[in-house]
Amino acid sequence: MPAFPLLHLYLTLVGARVRGQMQYRVSFALSAFGQAFITIIEFGAIVVLFSRVPRIAGWSLWEVALLYALAETSFSSAEFVGSALDDFQLRVSQGTFDRVLVRPLGAFFQVLAEELALRRLGRVLQGILVLILALHNLALVWTPDKVLVLALGLASGMVIFFSIFVLAAAFCFWTVEGKEATHVFSYGGVTLADYPLDVYADWLRRFAIFVLPLAFVSYEPALYLLDRPDPLGLPSWLRLLSPLAALGLALLARLGWSVGVRHYQSTGS
Amino acid sequence: MRTLRGGTPLLDSHCVIRTHDLRKTFRVARRRPGLLGGLRSLVNPILHEVVAVDGVSLEIRRGEMVACLGPNGAGKSTTIKMLTGILVPSGGQVEVLGLVPSRRRKQVAQRIGVVFGQRTQLWWDLPLRDSFDLLRYIYRIPDARFRHNLDQFAALLELDAFIDTPVRQLSLGQRMRGDLAAALLHDPEVLYLDEPTIGLDVVAKHRVRSFLLDLNQQRGVTVLLTTHDMSDVERLCSRLLIIDHGRLLYDGGLDEMRARLGHDSTLEDMMRQFYERTARELLADLEADADPVPASYA
Repeated sequence: MPAFPLLHLYLTLVGARVRGQMQYRVSFALSAFGQAFITIIEFGAIVVLFSRVPRIAGWSLWEVALLYALAETSFSSAEFVGSALDDFQLRVSQGTFDRVLVRPLGAFFQVLAEELALRRLGRVLQGILVLILALHNLALVWTPDKVLVLALGLASGMVIFFSIFVLAAAFCFWTVEGKEATHVFSYGGVTLADYPLDVYADWLRRFAIFVLPLAFVSYEPALYLLDRPDPLGLPSWLRLLSPLAALGLALLARLGWSVGVRHYQSTGS
Repeated sequence: MRTLRGGTPLLDSHCVIRTHDLRKTFRVARRRPGLLGGLRSLVNPILHEVVAVDGVSLEIRRGEMVACLGPNGAGKSTTIKMLTGILVPSGGQVEVLGLVPSRRRKQVAQRIGVVFGQRTQLWWDLPLRDSFDLLRYIYRIPDARFRHNLDQFAALLELDAFIDTPVRQLSLGQRMRGDLAAALLHDPEVLYLDEPTIGLDVVAKHRVRSFLLDLNQQRGVTVLLTTHDMSDVERLCSRLLIIDHGRLLYDGGLDEMRARLGHDSTLEDMMRQFYERTARELLADLEADADPVPASYA
């Protein structure tokens, strides 16, 4: 018996899926190629922007690069682990979720283990690359607490995006239409977290702090790392709350998923 | 006392499946037409309720082989999905092997096997053998048991010719044989089959039926199957359940059914008669009660 039976099972199932993917090599090569350019183009656009203006709302290029890297790295790693979640509406509408429910394993575990899009690793690596570049150019004074805030910030960001994916998937148990509308929160969310919060309208800032905690993905940890005063005048302890925000959203996602599974209607035979 | 096919008295009269007044109502959102209508439906859907299963009570004992018949959309599949734990009932009780499937889904799953004729449970892009291997991990089947079962099923279902072929390249008949073996590797006590012979040619049908008979007689597996194929019923089952409009209209032996209808033509003719007659009776009933007509779930 392996030391971590569930991990072993996950790797076995995901390995089977990856072997299946490799049956379609051309498709894999093309999508990997496409993924490789997302970050390069996006980050290139930021660099071009800063070649025209030295600062945006008081943020320099490498400060924005730090935000961008935190948001991209956590988003893309969540998207990587949750590869199975984005076309989840197909599993529900075609009734293939049925087979998950007749097996003696957790439904969520099985869904996650059904797909792991390796090509997405490219985007994670690019995020990390930009992060290294940004940290190198910012010449921060590192203290143990900053290292901790950086690590927890990345982990919390990943949990926050992962929870958004789970909530969007759980949404499919009620209606398989309109899944695209949830992209406002996932893809829209990462774009929002790419830039400093103070450039946005007031209502959007409030939304990102108090409703969907996107501010805790990049903005709050970055303020701490950069020792910047909060331009919005929010208390400084707020920037340490990323793990709490992530935990809250994760619990909500868990609840949404389990209520959704009980609401699952399957399809006609 | 009911007897198994072949006249062997039932040694174990223990109930493996029991439902009481089982109900399932779906709330279906109807879309308004057009783009704006689609958006409005998302925010404020027009919901209407569809009664798919309307108070089904039945008991199935260990070792029985039961056929569930009924027209399309009668509620057969929905009933089976509640018996497996896929769907949570809207009302009534259901117990499988003494457990409530929707609450003890994983424990029930470990002890039942499910085959959906129209939907494979195998890994589409991988050789058939790999699916079996993965199921060995999923069900934690002991090695010796796994090898013993696989050898036996491979021989009975003649899997060896295509066990190393990717599932997507299998013919429907081969895939169904693969699905049957996959559903049985973990020694389930109950096997649910939803239209197991659909789309198969005569030879493949024959092979599947002999296998099921053998399984039931040799291993004592309780089998509940849905079908539209009357020869499945005549070959396999001594007990019939007829479901229509979500209600259990008939529960009894094939021979009693023949006697009741006083007809010595084919079972197919009898069934058609039965459906038409009960549909007419139902309508008459409903008109008398002035209840809304229950829509069937397609």
